[in-house]
Amino acid sequence: MAAGVVTVLQIYGMAGLAVAAVFLAWGIDRVDQNARGAFVFRPLLIPGVALLWPLVLWRWGALERGRDPWAGRYRPPRRLQDWLGIGLAAAIPVILFGALLIRQEGPLERPAELLEPPPAAEGEADR
Amino acid sequence: MSDPDRGGFFIGWSNKLPDRLGLFLVQAAAVLVAGLAGAAFAIGVTQNDPGDGAFRFDLGRQTITGVLQAEPYPVLHVTESERYPAGHAIMLSGQGKRGVQDRAAPLDGQLVVASGVILTRGPLDMLQVRGGDQGLIAAEAAPDANAVPPGVPVPVPLGRWRLTGEICDGKCYAGAMRPGQGLSHRACANLCLTGGVPPVFVATDTVDGQAFFLIAGPDGGPVTDRILDHTAMLVEVEGQIERRGDLLVFRIDPATLEVL
Amino acid sequence: MSVLYTPVQWNRNKFLYDGVLLAGVVAYILVFLQVAPLFVDATRPVDGAILRMRAFGTCAFLMLTLILCIGPLARLDRRFLPLLYNRRHFGVLTCVVAATHALQVLGWYYAFSPTPRLEALLSANTSFGQVLGFPFEVFGIFALLVLTLMAVTSHDFWLSFLTAPVWKALHLLVYPAYAAVVAHMALGYLQDAKNPAFALLAGGGALTVAGLHLAARRRDRAARGAADWVTVGRPAEIADGRARIVSLGGDERVAVFRYDGRLSAVSNACAHQNGPLGEGRIVDGCITCPWHGFQYRPADGCSPAPFTERIPTYRLKLDGDTVLVHRTANPPGTPVEPLAIP
Repeated sequence: MAAGVVTVLQIYGMAGLAVAAVFLAWGIDRVDQNARGAFVFRPLLIPGVALLWPLVLWRWGALERGRDPWAGRYRPPRRLQDWLGIGLAAAIPVILFGALLIRQEGPLERPAELLEPPPAAEGEADR
Repeated sequence: MSDPDRGGFFIGWSNKLPDRLGLFLVQAAAVLVAGLAGAAFAIGVTQNDPGDGAFRFDLGRQTITGVLQAEPYPVLHVTESERYPAGHAIMLSGQGKRGVQDRAAPLDGQLVVASGVILTRGPLDMLQVRGGDQGLIAAEAAPDANAVPPGVPVPVPLGRWRLTGEICDGKCYAGAMRPGQGLSHRACANLCLTGGVPPVFVATDTVDGQAFFLIAGPDGGPVTDRILDHTAMLVEVEGQIERRGDLLVFRIDPATLEVL
Repeated sequence: MSVLYTPVQWNRNKFLYDGVLLAGVVAYILVFLQVAPLFVDATRPVDGAILRMRAFGTCAFLMLTLILCIGPLARLDRRFLPLLYNRRHFGVLTCVVAATHALQVLGWYYAFSPTPRLEALLSANTSFGQVLGFPFEVFGIFALLVLTLMAVTSHDFWLSFLTAPVWKALHLLVYPAYAAVVAHMALGYLQDAKNPAFALLAGGGALTVAGLHLAARRRDRAARGAADWVTVGRPAEIADGRARIVSLGGDERVAVFRYDGRLSAVSNACAHQNGPLGEGRIVDGCITCPWHGFQYRPADGCSPAPFTERIPTYRLKLDGDTVLVHRTANPPGTPVEPLAIP
């Protein structure tokens, strides 16, 4: 199971490197004019493309087909951010104090208890 | 806006920093660096004492003769050693997170010579058997043909007990890692146990003067698979305790395991 | 800003910023690994690898805590805005520190085993059904994955390629990641540490993040009704060289700037990283973003040459002494005659 997950991740990464090679050598010049003639920064993008290659392919396709509505570029996900901020503020105390509650400290250490004495063949009491 | 100070408005690419802002940022930087250093000190000096367990490389390689007991986990009952009295029990492990079950099984009940590095923590001793064929070998027959061949100590039952304590892997707890216990170390403990390292029960109280127990199943066999959800934290468990030489074996009943 | 991409557009402020950061991290690690042990009275010292795990792990946690404080702090007190300027480098450095922590763990707790390290990481602890003893490592893995994702997409190319809102949404994963880090720590080291110093420091930091986010919540002046023309207010309510921000509903906001006795309306979202332009100023005749200093001419939303960024503009009109803005944005860079203030 764990070995399978690791294999799948490796395949995903390999595919990502292949996409990175094609995109950075060829595709990037087609979709971003600021990249034309700029090469030094491209190795910096390899890990990102390798990690996010499905997203890269999707955006690449959208830009190639000219499907990039300008208005969408000026609508930052502010309400999402507000909700995430509130959610985080609520989650932090719950996690922290919950974790402190379940800490194993205090008078938990009960003494050893003899439930059933050994067969008395030896005629000797323990403890 | 011809005001060079721009009312304190910061522009990252501009090298003209508003005066008041400059002072504020210098103070912020000083607080950041000093604060981080202070936090490092506060967390660094308040770490738990990890105990005195350690690899005893300083003693050199130990060669110990004794009777091997393969179940529940390989243990050597010393008959002859420079350091240890006869009758002392030493748990055995392999290199890294491995046990020596494979090599111990064919030699069960026999007199063997084991060699490797000792790990010690209080009364708990473990031998990390060296790799290869020479780590664990059958001892040559005693020269005196009339001598009674030594055997595995006869178990002395101490009754059924309920104990509170932590299930640890015997190797990390004995000093392979410091600290070798606790929840942060849990995954490592489980890896050691599944690799074949003997599990030990570190009780909060003593039975017959001892707080360390080698863990076994109710039938006296290995029990690793059934304790992995209860390692590395305080648990309560019931089981028969028996003495084998100077080693206490806790034959736990996994059904009674309970997290406190 | 635009023009050809380079790996990092260095300037003096970025050097200073990174210098202070590095000094802080180096101080933390050195004090933790070299100084603190001199003052510890333990039977035997903690393993070097475990000490390093703790040093880098706690350092990354505190760094992420500081990073998450910067946003709300800058909102509550503008003097903290410079800390936001190069926050991306702060994030990348945090990712490196967190990755070092992970490598120390992999090279110690998950090493020396017949099971390969990554497989061991996924299979050693499978007690998903319990709270105490839960494989808290998965929280750390998730957080490190998010930090890595953010670090590798920190170049400006990604902002332009993915669009700022998508990039922002991706980077908002830092919120669940921080919650995961708190859980990682709370179910791991916090359970073991006997001295309360760690709980106080880490808990205090996390609660500060929570408190600041509540304190800095933005309350919008929301547009009323669905009319085409939305009320902005009276011109006198806007300070010279500043703006008023009006929400058009949803995530769309417009910034109405007053300068030289005139008014112009542009999108509140900077073309670079969707920074809040309406919280910026007019500097040298240009709207200047408070985050990274990107500039736009108020009348047409274009960056001055040689830069090529553009933002949408909006039409304004006066109704008596009330300014109204049309809710339909003009395409980026559309010139609009500024509204003269009577």
